[in-house]
Amino acid sequence: MSAAREKAYVLFPMGEKRFALPSDVVTELARPDHLQTFPHSTPLLAGVLVRRGRIVPVYDVAQLLVGPAAPPRKFYLIANRQIDSRNEWTAIPVTGECELINLPPGESGLEQDQETQDHDRPEYVVGFVNAGDVTVPVVDLQKLISMEAR
Amino acid sequence: MREFNPRPVPKAPQEGVILFTVAGFKLAIAAGAVKEIRGLEGLNAFTLGGISERVEKLRYTLERGGTTYFVVDASRHFRLASSSPGRVLVLRNSSTAILVDSTDRMTDISTLLALPRAFQGDERTWYRGLAIVNDEVIPVVNPGAFLSKGEQEVLRAGLEGLQGAAVV
Repeated sequence: MSAAREKAYVLFPMGEKRFALPSDVVTELARPDHLQTFPHSTPLLAGVLVRRGRIVPVYDVAQLLVGPAAPPRKFYLIANRQIDSRNEWTAIPVTGECELINLPPGESGLEQDQETQDHDRPEYVVGFVNAGDVTVPVVDLQKLISMEAR
Repeated sequence: MREFNPRPVPKAPQEGVILFTVAGFKLAIAAGAVKEIRGLEGLNAFTLGGISERVEKLRYTLERGGTTYFVVDASRHFRLASSSPGRVLVLRNSSTAILVDSTDRMTDISTLLALPRAFQGDERTWYRGLAIVNDEVIPVVNPGAFLSKGEQEVLRAGLEGLQGAAVV
């Protein structure tokens, strides 16, 4: 991931916690939409949405990020994900509205070496970004989803 | 002054599909792949020692016009909770029939969308793609996926062996 070069992040809530994605992978925050399901055997896939004529797979990653006690998801964060060298939209249900933080030029905001935070850090967390007085884990969506598939 | 004569917009090729349901899910199959839609009459329970277990989704056989069709339970094929089968789709150019809950109607689709690459499981074999019918995303099944050629050969050989044994 090229997170070290990122200057902006989208913070998304998942219950009591917040996580971040680099803004350049985020396409949009969509309002609650009609989740459609059909038989399949891919882990984590909750179904699909139809957005602007595209069929967007929905990955419910709440269980991985905050465990089974995740509150109901209200919005869909739509992000670009590279699969087999192609970009594809992926929707993640989130529990509230998202926030965009822009960092000044030359400041990535990404902190990789905080000892306390690096301890037992999940593989999908590629760093931390400071948002006000809170430190928010930055998630690599590809790693997060791949971990579950393994 | 030349008369405005708009060039006709070429119509996208359409494909007729039959909508059917399995365990509450709506699916579609190419109308051309279906030879006959029928009720449950004439189904014979399939028990062939050693083979029934290997092809667990196979529930019945059906004799039609001198051909033995292997009837696959679609809910088992798609690994769904038990359903309430009510119709059999006999496939064309195949010795396979599919047990489904109900058939809905025929409709035309003009676009078959590729299954998103995020789908990485058996569904990549199960479906030819996705169609949007009245804002509803409906998978269009791959008729050849219900019983692979290998499975058909095993079944055919087993059945022939059984018939041979019965004659002797």
